[in-house]
Amino acid sequence: MRSPIRIVFEQRSETPKHLSVLVPLLSVVAALVVGALFLLATGYSPLETYSNMLSDGFTSSRGITDTLGLSTVLICTGISAAFAFQMNLYNIGGEGQLYLGMIGGAWAGLALGNQLPTFVMIPVVLLVGALAGASWILLPAFVRSRLGTSEIVTTLLLTYIAASLVKHFVYSPGSFFVTKNSAFPQGRLVPDSASLSGIGDTSLYPTFFLVILIALVLFWVVKKTEYGYRIQVISDSPRAAHYAGINANRTTMSVMLISGALSGLGGAVLIIGPFGRLDPGIILLGYGYAGIVIAALARNNFSAIIVSGILFAGLRSGGDKLQISTDTPIHIGVMLQGAILLFALGGEAFRRYHIHAVRTERATQ
Amino acid sequence: MTNASHEVAKGPHHASGAAPSALSAHSIVKRFPGVLANDSVDFDVLPGEVHTLLGENGAGKSTLAAMLCGLYQPDTGYITRNGERIALSSPRAGLQHGIAMVHQHFRLVERFTVAENVILGSRDLSYKLNRSELEDKVAAVAESYGLPIEPGATVGDLSVGQRQRVEIVKALYQGAEILLLDEPTAVLVPAEVEKLFENVHAMTKAGKSIVFISHKLGEVVEISDRVTVLRNGRVTGHVSGRGTADTKELARLMVGRDIELTTQRASHATGHEILQIRDLSLTVGGVNVLSDISFNVHAGEMVGIAGVAGNGQRELADTIAGLMSPTSGSISISGSMTTDRGPIHARELGLAYVPEDRLGMGLVPSMSILDNLLLTRDRRVVVDRTTVRPEATRLIEQFEIKANGPDHMARKLSGGNAQKVLLARELSGGRTATKLLVVCSPTRGLDVGAIETVRALLDDARSAGQAILLISEDLDEVMSLSDRIFVLYRGSVVHETPGESAQLATVGAAMAGLKPEGKS
Ligand SMILES: Nc1ncnc2c1ncn2[C@@H]1O[C@H](COP(=O)(O)OP(=O)(O)OP(=O)(O)O)[C@@H](O)[C@H]1O
Ligand SMILES: [Mg+2]
Repeated sequence: MRSPIRIVFEQRSETPKHLSVLVPLLSVVAALVVGALFLLATGYSPLETYSNMLSDGFTSSRGITDTLGLSTVLICTGISAAFAFQMNLYNIGGEGQLYLGMIGGAWAGLALGNQLPTFVMIPVVLLVGALAGASWILLPAFVRSRLGTSEIVTTLLLTYIAASLVKHFVYSPGSFFVTKNSAFPQGRLVPDSASLSGIGDTSLYPTFFLVILIALVLFWVVKKTEYGYRIQVISDSPRAAHYAGINANRTTMSVMLISGALSGLGGAVLIIGPFGRLDPGIILLGYGYAGIVIAALARNNFSAIIVSGILFAGLRSGGDKLQISTDTPIHIGVMLQGAILLFALGGEAFRRYHIHAVRTERATQ
Repeated sequence: MTNASHEVAKGPHHASGAAPSALSAHSIVKRFPGVLANDSVDFDVLPGEVHTLLGENGAGKSTLAAMLCGLYQPDTGYITRNGERIALSSPRAGLQHGIAMVHQHFRLVERFTVAENVILGSRDLSYKLNRSELEDKVAAVAESYGLPIEPGATVGDLSVGQRQRVEIVKALYQGAEILLLDEPTAVLVPAEVEKLFENVHAMTKAGKSIVFISHKLGEVVEISDRVTVLRNGRVTGHVSGRGTADTKELARLMVGRDIELTTQRASHATGHEILQIRDLSLTVGGVNVLSDISFNVHAGEMVGIAGVAGNGQRELADTIAGLMSPTSGSISISGSMTTDRGPIHARELGLAYVPEDRLGMGLVPSMSILDNLLLTRDRRVVVDRTTVRPEATRLIEQFEIKANGPDHMARKLSGGNAQKVLLARELSGGRTATKLLVVCSPTRGLDVGAIETVRALLDDARSAGQAILLISEDLDEVMSLSDRIFVLYRGSVVHETPGESAQLATVGAAMAGLKPEGKS
């Protein structure tokens, strides 16, 4: 008689380095396998679908620039989520802050674009967008740092309000943001001075490089500065922070505001290109929510977010094109995103525990 | 691998050839990155005996205990239970074999009641909890070993000694036959230690075995049937037979030389007042924690605060350090008021503070030794680690901290070595030269060699003209180091005496709240 096998979770005293890379990679692979099962079950060829996605997302030159273009906003929302998550502040309202960034960016472009030159307007649009994003987290940040109210609920609720706000600005007659006398309610394009064109006529905009730079700066800030040190102390042991005279309330407040500003920046980036206008279509795209997954996959490491952001952009843009070119099921890209989040979170178990099967001993010889 | 775990090895039985040992470790090796924590360790414990593990800080005692209860797995070597080889893949597996450990840091859920904590992790619970029935069951187990606990009390409201009792009851409730106690007395006051030892006797009488870890040699002599000495991960000595060892011999076995813990007092006249406390009162949640405390500490003087834990010592220290605001009264350091001005202001005036609570308050567990040294210093906008690194290396050497270097994470230090990092930081000066040193239980968890070193450092600091406030439950320590002693009872100073002429009986009585005779 064979003895039964049991799965044992054994807590690791130390996480091996290679697992920090392996686990996210395997999460992606596992998600692709699950996606393949779905494709098979619904009668599509997973191989064909994936190879189309791959060429549309990563290998063709058009695909690459599209991917990098899309990654610009996704990296913004990714670092936004990670900046709050690293201090155990769960800002899951990046989506709403992104909408506000778009509203703010569009407003700045429309209101000031005709008077100011491009080199002034671009920073102004980005700044106003970031401020608008930050404004959308001001209330959650305040009640969290003063009263300890869960930011998860407040930031999420505000996202719904932000979505209504976008619709209001586009669909209410005579709105500042829309074209007058158009039969079809549509956001007004910002003047040329407030937008850029894609590099070499692609959908990759110069803002991409700015965002990469910001991610790298944040990486440095967290690792090397007093501010990053403070964040680490507070997130690990609030009592040690108190002992050392570190003001946790103020840091909580500022971390959340910066997180909001980064999502807002993502919205403003979309105004500069490719959207150029306040577009209610943004509500269906879920770029803000994607940031949560991107941050989780990169385990809140700012340089790793550049990689996971680009990976995600590839899946999304490859998936989106499938919907246009072939009759593959729509939303395969979004579905993969969800699956990756599940596997990335589940993969934490492998990092924290040594999981192995043992035979239970026989009671007697 | 699988084959090996199936064979039943007969462990080498105890020399007498009598009953097989209840639990033994055979040639256990455990390596952590950069350290050999256990190097071929053999260890066994007989039914009904107390076997003590003794050794310097970082010798590998906690690591060995963690492997015996299933928390860590040995790299090589094996463990037998009643002569049969067992594989302990987790603490749960340990429990199934009747082995449980009470850790240096407790693992209780503060918001749960005692009974809830005790049953936490049990597998045979029904879907719906019958609270009163459970509480009765828990109380019954507790009583049978003379461990009075109140099953309905919230753990967060309990004293440290009571929490420890909850941990022990939990182990017994889960059917432990072998109990590993890692420095259980470090956090207890003498009366609680006595109570614990009574419990230990009740348990051994019932045939249970105890593995005991402690640095307090007097206790070790009192409670142990056998002692095994570890040094740098190796077994270096055995003493068997109750009462055959004395503390001197144990100290020599541990550190390889004689240790002389001498009495030290200020060698020259003390200077001007550094710390001034005036009519200090503190009320927390309607309770008077401190009432009308006034005293001064002078340059070059050590003032000791004696008292049973929970009589306001921690709050007094926190208030002086600027972490709490007094309800009334004032505090000044070097003539400047620090009341309500926060910890950084106090430090800028020359305060250094070793809090009661090391990991989590004094140290950040997930940070390196280097980053922990920076916790109470001026860090600039861009943290300058390169200039602090040589100092970190020097302090590791000076305090004989067992670590892989400045980047060793605080959480991965042994208990005593973590305490040394905290002392190293606070004794080496911070933002400004230290003028006032407030130290709580500075030698708790340290081995005798390290206690000697720390006491010498405190004495040096005093000779260098620093004012020192020593707050400790270790009455011996307070009595042998302090120039003046205050006894704190229910938040008030009830007794004051010069260190030299202090009488143990009088101070002890004052600590218990009895009015010392002769003094009004
Ligand atoms: N998780 C870990 N990772 C790396 N090193 C560790 C870890 N745990 C312990 N060590 C190292 O192993 C050695 C033995 O540690 P251990 O905790 O067993 O000492 P100890 O004898 O209990 O000391 P103390 O009296 O100070 O509690 C120490 O050098 C310690 O730094
Ligand atoms: Mg230990």
